[in-house]
Amino acid sequence: MPRNFGQVSRRRFVAGAAGSGAAIVAPAVFTGARAADELKMATFFPLSGPAALFGPTGTACTRLAVDEINAAGGIGGRKVTIVPADGGAPPAEAAKAAIRLMLRDKVELVVGSHNSAVREAIVAALKGKIPYVYTPLYEGGECNPNVYVTADTPQQQVQPSITWLARTLGAKTYYLIGNDYVWPRKTNEQAKKYIAEAGGSVVGEEYVPLGAPNKFEDAVTRIKAKNPDLVVITLVGGDNVNFNRTFAGFGLDKSIKRISYLLEELTLLGIGDKSSNGLYSAMSYFVNEKSEANAKFKASFAKAFAPKPPPLSMLGVDSYSGVYCAKALIEKAGGTGDAGRLMAASNALRYRTATGTAVMTNRHVVKDMFLAECKGTSFEIVETFKAVAHGQACS
Amino acid sequence: MDPILTTNILNVVYEVSTLAVVVLGLAVVFGLLNVMNLAHGEFVMIGAYCAFFVQTQDLPFLAAVPLALLVCGFIGLVVERILVRPLYARPFDTLLATWGLSMLLREAVEAIYGRGFRSVATPLTGSVDVLGAGYPAYRLLLTAVSIALVAGLVWWFVQSATGRRIRAVVNNPELAGSVGIPVTALARNTFVFGCCLAALAGVMLAPLLPVNPTLGLDFILKSFFVLVVGGLGSLVGLISGAGVIGGVESVVSAVSDRTWGYSTVLVIAILFLWLRPNGLFPRT
Amino acid sequence: MASFLVHSAALVAALAVLPQLVGEFWAYTLALYFLYAIAAMGIGLCWGQAGILPLGQSMFFGLAAYLSGLSLIHFGDSWLLLVLLPASALAPGLLAYGIGVLVFRGRTLTGPFFAMITLALTLLAFQIANSWNDVTGGFNGLKNIPGLPGLSDFTDLYYISASALAVCVLGVAWLRRAPAGVLWRAVAENEQRVRFCGFAVQNVKAVVFGISGVLAGIGGALYAPQQNLVTPQLCGFILSADLVIWAAVGGRATLYGPVVGAVLIGILTADLRDEISWWEVILAAIFIVVVLYFRQGLMGFVEPRFERLWRRAAARDIESPARPGAPDDTGFALDDVHVRVDRVRILEGLDLAVDRPGVYCLIGPNGAGKTSCFNAMTGELPVRSGRIRILGRERTGAAADVLSRIGVGRKFQAPSLFPDLTVAENFNVGLWGGRARLADLVRMRSHRWSSAILREAQARFPFLAEEDRRAGDLSHGQRQILELVMVLIAEPRLILLDEPSAGLSQAESREVVEAIRWVGSRLQACTVIVEHDMTFVREIADRIFVLHQGRLLASGTVAEIQADERVRAVYVGASA
Repeated sequence: MPRNFGQVSRRRFVAGAAGSGAAIVAPAVFTGARAADELKMATFFPLSGPAALFGPTGTACTRLAVDEINAAGGIGGRKVTIVPADGGAPPAEAAKAAIRLMLRDKVELVVGSHNSAVREAIVAALKGKIPYVYTPLYEGGECNPNVYVTADTPQQQVQPSITWLARTLGAKTYYLIGNDYVWPRKTNEQAKKYIAEAGGSVVGEEYVPLGAPNKFEDAVTRIKAKNPDLVVITLVGGDNVNFNRTFAGFGLDKSIKRISYLLEELTLLGIGDKSSNGLYSAMSYFVNEKSEANAKFKASFAKAFAPKPPPLSMLGVDSYSGVYCAKALIEKAGGTGDAGRLMAASNALRYRTATGTAVMTNRHVVKDMFLAECKGTSFEIVETFKAVAHGQACS
Repeated sequence: MDPILTTNILNVVYEVSTLAVVVLGLAVVFGLLNVMNLAHGEFVMIGAYCAFFVQTQDLPFLAAVPLALLVCGFIGLVVERILVRPLYARPFDTLLATWGLSMLLREAVEAIYGRGFRSVATPLTGSVDVLGAGYPAYRLLLTAVSIALVAGLVWWFVQSATGRRIRAVVNNPELAGSVGIPVTALARNTFVFGCCLAALAGVMLAPLLPVNPTLGLDFILKSFFVLVVGGLGSLVGLISGAGVIGGVESVVSAVSDRTWGYSTVLVIAILFLWLRPNGLFPRT
Repeated sequence: MASFLVHSAALVAALAVLPQLVGEFWAYTLALYFLYAIAAMGIGLCWGQAGILPLGQSMFFGLAAYLSGLSLIHFGDSWLLLVLLPASALAPGLLAYGIGVLVFRGRTLTGPFFAMITLALTLLAFQIANSWNDVTGGFNGLKNIPGLPGLSDFTDLYYISASALAVCVLGVAWLRRAPAGVLWRAVAENEQRVRFCGFAVQNVKAVVFGISGVLAGIGGALYAPQQNLVTPQLCGFILSADLVIWAAVGGRATLYGPVVGAVLIGILTADLRDEISWWEVILAAIFIVVVLYFRQGLMGFVEPRFERLWRRAAARDIESPARPGAPDDTGFALDDVHVRVDRVRILEGLDLAVDRPGVYCLIGPNGAGKTSCFNAMTGELPVRSGRIRILGRERTGAAADVLSRIGVGRKFQAPSLFPDLTVAENFNVGLWGGRARLADLVRMRSHRWSSAILREAQARFPFLAEEDRRAGDLSHGQRQILELVMVLIAEPRLILLDEPSAGLSQAESREVVEAIRWVGSRLQACTVIVEHDMTFVREIADRIFVLHQGRLLASGTVAEIQADERVRAVYVGASA
């Protein structure tokens, strides 16, 4: 199967997956049940829409995790196969795909990295019948049965970073801009709380539609008029790129600092070195994080996808960890069939991640968080927050 | 002057002039051939992808211009021959056929490049001080080039021999044919020319847009509204239509937000389509 | 009727056994695409029957889905659902009807404008759905919509969708056969003739658009409880476009075309999109080919064979109801009428009056304003000044359908009828005009209407008894006569005929003269004829009016006019 995911398109990716035995060879009518010792795992990565730039890294990292797990005997002795779906589709389409995967392809496990609107749709479609591991950063509050969240929460991402920026940069006035859906809105609700606690005030807040061909000159002009100390960005993918480029194009980067809560290596590459001055990001993983485990992970990633590995980013790496989380979970619960046992097993569940091990409590994960400043097209970690609580109370 | 106001005014001028360039090709084709090319936006989109392609090949940005003209010119030539020419007598079917074409081009680009958003690096960075307001240099350049393009085309159309011929064909195709003006060739060239203009607009706008396969959809709708508001097939109409649509969207977006800006444009377009389908400056 | 029952039974049986054959997943998938198919049928009605292309059906689908979703969320376990769910399906129909009335009113909008208005409206609907967070849930949509009470698994959902589809298919099949269907096809072919038969075309179109809204509404209202999630994309452009493509490729003019298109192409697309990277390109190419060469679509190859069975003319064994409410007055009067188009003066103070039954001829050189006189009387040309009295009242600028209903009939210079309809259907549109009440338009028995004038005409012109022939297949002369008879069977009191003898053989011409005389005296009508053929005029005219340069030049009997120096001068001058 092709190892080069660098310029992978959604279709070629699917073709690749088919070649590897995840096999949608002919129209689904002809594909019946398959060998029982196979564990089918559905993946939802954005292959279309504004977040599509995250698709390839998620796909590749999952592939790597699955190949490693299969080489070591699979999950509970069963080989894992991947059935991919588009997590960048509108929520209703993703929900239909989830039902198709359950009914037709008989997947037993879902791992997804996509926006929260899609997550809510998938959760509603699955109705807790099969375990679902959700891996990217999100707004918190996901406690539905049989859903396991390895993502960063606002308590982990926003609270420490806002407090630090308010103190270190002396930021008093804040402008919030995000896409109009559940993650930016709920994250900003939290952010406003932390801003108030840090003694700052919000001078503007606006939302642009997700998935629309947005332009940002008027938003940037409004920000210019308000002249805040810090712009808090909860835009996704292409919109994040476009906003930051317009922002710097109008010369605002010289006087106004920005922090984006969904800014990893791929987005930064799109924003480019000319537009990244004074831009911060806060997440639980950066590629140039200097730990031994991370170095090892990066080496095996580079080896697996040689000679031209796709770019790495947190949104892929957390899916890698997500697959290991699923493995630990299923093995501890002794199968995928019993939601109650799975949920019980998730408490104090230890699993392997790209940077070491993690422990799950309340179906969320306590993490070390990093605050990084952009230097050209790479991140420089300026502060590390140790073992930050996730602040979620799922039973 | 207040720098924020200056910035807002420049935003409006930018919006209107770039919109006018996008509509230009559509207006030329509709005005002369009576063909509403609903795939016009996809030619803009292909132009933008040419800019992206050139960037992936590490070629200079300007190399995208000849590439886009070649690609879109060729597609336009083929399309005119097999799709538009058989339908000159069936305008409604032309609408449907070019709409089908727009899907075809969109899906073809999607099959090649995927659905993701791409970005093209801005060839001219930095900002220029205009009356105390810093404004991105590339946007200023784009505004200037757009105005020059529209003005140049108007001048050419009024002055040149080809312009006279075209006007003759518009006024009376049978007579024009009988006095030896090659009507078929002129129609073909006009269509190709319209596609090339779209491609050029696509290249120019690529650095400021998230380049993706559905990019044309937004443009074709707005362009169509410009023609409806301005009046189908006149240059005054084109400019006034771009002024109304681009201006209103830009101003409402600045005062409120983009959603309101776009919704207002839709409402204006609906009112015109319903109550004044011949626009502000109907062709007599 | 028998064929309709057989059809119904076959359809119900097929839908009932289907899930047993295909299994749970396909039952679920079919359940979804059946809902889209119902909406696509609405496009079939509008576009394939009435000739108006709506590009914004998803607006109605989405609206119903939101309404039904909100009802289920807030009243999920209440009996109110019994009212709210049907209301959710009907509301989009009302909206569509309202839009139709507004858009089609007072003006014959050409197709593309209507299409673009509906497109712009659906884009607006998307904006509203996407940003009105408090009500629609914005981008995230309405979540966790409860299902219909008492239904649980995917097969239950299938039977709900399948029942809805069956009801809609049979309803649409009925409407297509009923007079309403004939009327829609007539509108698509020749709107002007339908108006002159006494139908308010704007209402006819608004009604069919309204019905398409209800169909989209039924689909949408069932979508919400089936999918449990309603998002703005349901109002979006993509779904609208898909519906149109499905209807076109399946066969827009056929009953099953939109259904086959939606189910077949929809499911193939959902399945193949991920596996054949060029699938959607291929689909777009298929659509282009259909537009260019195969406008009848897939089912167009199949269905017409069956359609011929039921489109046979019915025996005319029911006497049509009498026309209500024709005024007692006959005649008309034009008083100093001025008409201009742009700057061209067409009528320049025309005075013309006729006050008793008889046959009157309008003659005059080309450009004298003869046809324009008719056009001004029937509201086809705007009158700048002056007054027009028709059948006893001033009716300056009255619309053609209104005039037709009170008893004005008009035949056009070039035969104006419905070439793709059968002779029987042409007659029927003429008979229904002014006579049929709304209920008659959905009753099959209205196909069996007959009238004394129709029987007389069929006796005089035997070719008119071959009612299964396509009107377009008749010779030019026969079409002239068919149109004349269509005008006469409406039993008008004022009959305006524009060159009824053009293209007729001498024998036919004589027959026409006799028929006009016979009808005129039977109906006690005023017959006004624009004519160039002086032989014809001499044979038929009780009195002649000569028009010149938009004014009345002379009037009198045939002999008086022939003796008039001014008339001779005009004709000599005109021919010089």
